[in-house]
Amino acid sequence: MDVLGQDKREVFGLRTNSHTGTLLFSLVALILLLSSLYAAEASVFEKARETAMETASPILKLFSGPIGWIHDRVGDVGDYFRVLEQNKALREENAALRQWEEEARSLRAVISALEELDAYEAPPTIKPINAFVIGEANEAYAHSMIVNAGAKAGAAVGYAAVDERGMIGRLVSVSNNASRILLLNDIQSRIPVFVEGSFVEGLLVGRSTSNPTIAITMLANGARIEPGQRVVTSGAGGVLPRGLTVGVVSKVTDKEAVVELAADYARTRLVRIISYEFPQIDEIEQGAESQSTSVPDQSAVERSDDQPAPQAQAAAATAPPSPDEGD
Amino acid sequence: MASRAENLARIARAATPTLLGVFGAFMLAAPLRLFEGAVATPLIPLVVVYFWSLYSPGHLPAASIFFIGLLQDLLSGGPLGLWPAVYLAVQYVAISQQSYFLGRETHVVWMGFAVAAASVSIILWLFMSLMSATLLPLGGLVFQMLTTIAVYPLFAVAFGNLHRRVIIEV
Repeated sequence: MDVLGQDKREVFGLRTNSHTGTLLFSLVALILLLSSLYAAEASVFEKARETAMETASPILKLFSGPIGWIHDRVGDVGDYFRVLEQNKALREENAALRQWEEEARSLRAVISALEELDAYEAPPTIKPINAFVIGEANEAYAHSMIVNAGAKAGAAVGYAAVDERGMIGRLVSVSNNASRILLLNDIQSRIPVFVEGSFVEGLLVGRSTSNPTIAITMLANGARIEPGQRVVTSGAGGVLPRGLTVGVVSKVTDKEAVVELAADYARTRLVRIISYEFPQIDEIEQGAESQSTSVPDQSAVERSDDQPAPQAQAAAATAPPSPDEGD
Repeated sequence: MASRAENLARIARAATPTLLGVFGAFMLAAPLRLFEGAVATPLIPLVVVYFWSLYSPGHLPAASIFFIGLLQDLLSGGPLGLWPAVYLAVQYVAISQQSYFLGRETHVVWMGFAVAAASVSIILWLFMSLMSATLLPLGGLVFQMLTTIAVYPLFAVAFGNLHRRVIIEV
């Protein structure tokens, strides 16, 4: 190391004291930064990001292959040292799951009874797209993942992404063969959620903390939120389906409730992208018209009456928090 | 034909620092998750930029640094131009302090890197806090920078050997 710069000093560097290039490119960088801030959603920048993601995805796949292999091996070694406690934990989990099984069986009976009722309207079918995590942003203030499924597989901006534990984020950028998921703890993430048990609707806001905890702002009836209550997506706004597991309330303060995410981003390997088309009022009305012209039937009229109900619910769900916002 | 092969070899040698920076940017975008995500991925491009700006700026021109930074921005999905600006600032300071650092002992240069990393952290934190209009938590950033500072000597030795034995063909 000491040789560096001592003996070779005159050999080193073609233009050692030239700052011109640095200053020139710094200027370009600053102009680029300012313009990308003023027009964050500009199509040029979005297109550049998508192109970069598309071009980089084969390279990232090359990188993530061996990494996954090493993780599997290292994970195995770690498991040997934790066999006893894991066994105990699994027993406890098994006991808990048996109880859930009983409950699920009884619920299934209720559902089949409901389905037999003519009035029951099945929710829109959810089509999952499976994808592997091939990249992620390892920077302090950027929390996102790149997965190997894109527009060709049917993904689109706004779709929810879940792993086996719960919701991990929302698609913000989609190219042909890759997509970027904005994680729930990113500072830009906003997800409408619903707290089970207290019936509170809120907005889940990312705080960029290292351990993924998130705060709910705009509490409608914040006093009723208690630690331990489950948090799921509310479906308000009509982009995300209702009922995706988000996490559990871990702490409640005056203005916000901190949520412990169900997802563990350090373990997320396989991701399911949920393509969900919320029923649109105008489409249904058109459908009803065409149906009523061709088949003047009772069912078409019924459907046009029933279908807008979820929309109205969603609108009603978003409305209550707004008066409390000023408090 | 021999001269063509020689030319290719020379180009490959000249491009090595840039390629290492690009490799570092890709490492930052790979789901590395060291020790099950307990350790942050080190900012290898920062090490590359600091090292070559100090010892041989001619091998890592401003255009290369701009490209490395832009690639990192594109892959992380952040505001474009942030990392190029940060890396070029590091290059500017490193070149201007070259006369002080050249020929110094390794740990002095390491301290210099620690100061550079700390300055970069402060700039990043201020900028991102301004952008999001809240005071962002510092923990993750400080941890990542400490990891980078901790691994700097390893990379410095490797880069030093590479530079002496391969790039400038003694």
